[in-house]
Amino acid sequence: MSEPRDGNRPDAGSDARKAAADLEARIARARGQRQATAAAEQTRQGDMSGMSRGFRLASEFVAAILVGAGLGWLIDSFLPTRPWATVILLLLGFAAGVLNVVRTTKEMNDATAVPPNTPALPDDDDD
Amino acid sequence: MAEQPIEPIHQFRINNLFDIGTFGGDGTAGSGVHIAFTNSALFMVLTIGLIMAFLILGSQRRAIIPTRVQLMTEMSYEFVANMVRNTAGHDGMKFFPMVFSLFMFILVANLFGMFPYFFTVTSHLIVTVMMALLVFFTVVIYGFYKNGLKFLKLFVPSGIPWFIIWLVVPIEIISFLSRPLSHSLRLWGNILAGHIVLKVFGGMVVGLLAAGAWGIVAIAPFGMAIALTGLEFLVAALQAFVFAVLTCVYLHDALHPGH
Repeated sequence: MSEPRDGNRPDAGSDARKAAADLEARIARARGQRQATAAAEQTRQGDMSGMSRGFRLASEFVAAILVGAGLGWLIDSFLPTRPWATVILLLLGFAAGVLNVVRTTKEMNDATAVPPNTPALPDDDDD
Repeated sequence: MAEQPIEPIHQFRINNLFDIGTFGGDGTAGSGVHIAFTNSALFMVLTIGLIMAFLILGSQRRAIIPTRVQLMTEMSYEFVANMVRNTAGHDGMKFFPMVFSLFMFILVANLFGMFPYFFTVTSHLIVTVMMALLVFFTVVIYGFYKNGLKFLKLFVPSGIPWFIIWLVVPIEIISFLSRPLSHSLRLWGNILAGHIVLKVFGGMVVGLLAAGAWGIVAIAPFGMAIALTGLEFLVAALQAFVFAVLTCVYLHDALHPGH
């Protein structure tokens, strides 16, 4: 490999330049690929199977209700407020569950990269 | 087959392999804490052993042109590192060891569970709850350590009028406290449900085959079991990923409180 290069000097210079340009192109290509894989990863993250998506939302919702009710029950068992802390915190738990679901959905939507030339939905601003 | 009913839950039973001893208590039967090496513990040790063997083998040579094992090790590192950087931010990298350990442990434990007759560690709620609580307390302790009382800003969204605040703050607190629960329930529920469903369809095949000529119908649940096995591999990897991503999301809150 090294013998022919040493043999003709002028060719070696252009060879090196060609190699450098080639390397640059390869680096650029690799960078592009890296960005592409990052974008693909993002869509994959957003594009989890429907079951796991549903399970995630359900667990977020249920967990907040359980925690709310549990917290209320705990307060009730220490303070003489028997039914009320449970009732109120259960309702707040529902609110927190809805908040969780809204946040998770937003996060999932953000994670799903919208294809660049997607037309806006025609009925976006209706009703 | 008829004498021994198919039990989909049986696979989750914990057996003592050998006793370690009884701690505390006054020597009478049933007192104190009895500790034994169980099949669950065995598979935890196997999981960690496999991960360690994989990582040590992969990082031993440090060749410029990597071998297959080294490449896999580097890919697993880069995958988790990118996830931590993207989700928790660059200063989240100080938690990389924790996220990487959790991810690898859950992934390998889930995949171990896909072997027939193997025990699935993550199908027990206590295991996933402990991992979720580890993340939760890391977030709380580090959040207070780094931000002091500013960490409480997490519960007070900015730009909220004062008459709504008293309603929003309890909701935010409940939402925050519900995190370890949903974090652990999701992993546990997915793995448990998947393994039960697999067993039920597998049991149907066996039961139908015993039915004589009508055994030909068994091909339907058999196909279902094959499809579900593929799905379970997906779920095993996906749930490890989801658990790690959520860990990063929660760590982000500890590093940068306030929405």
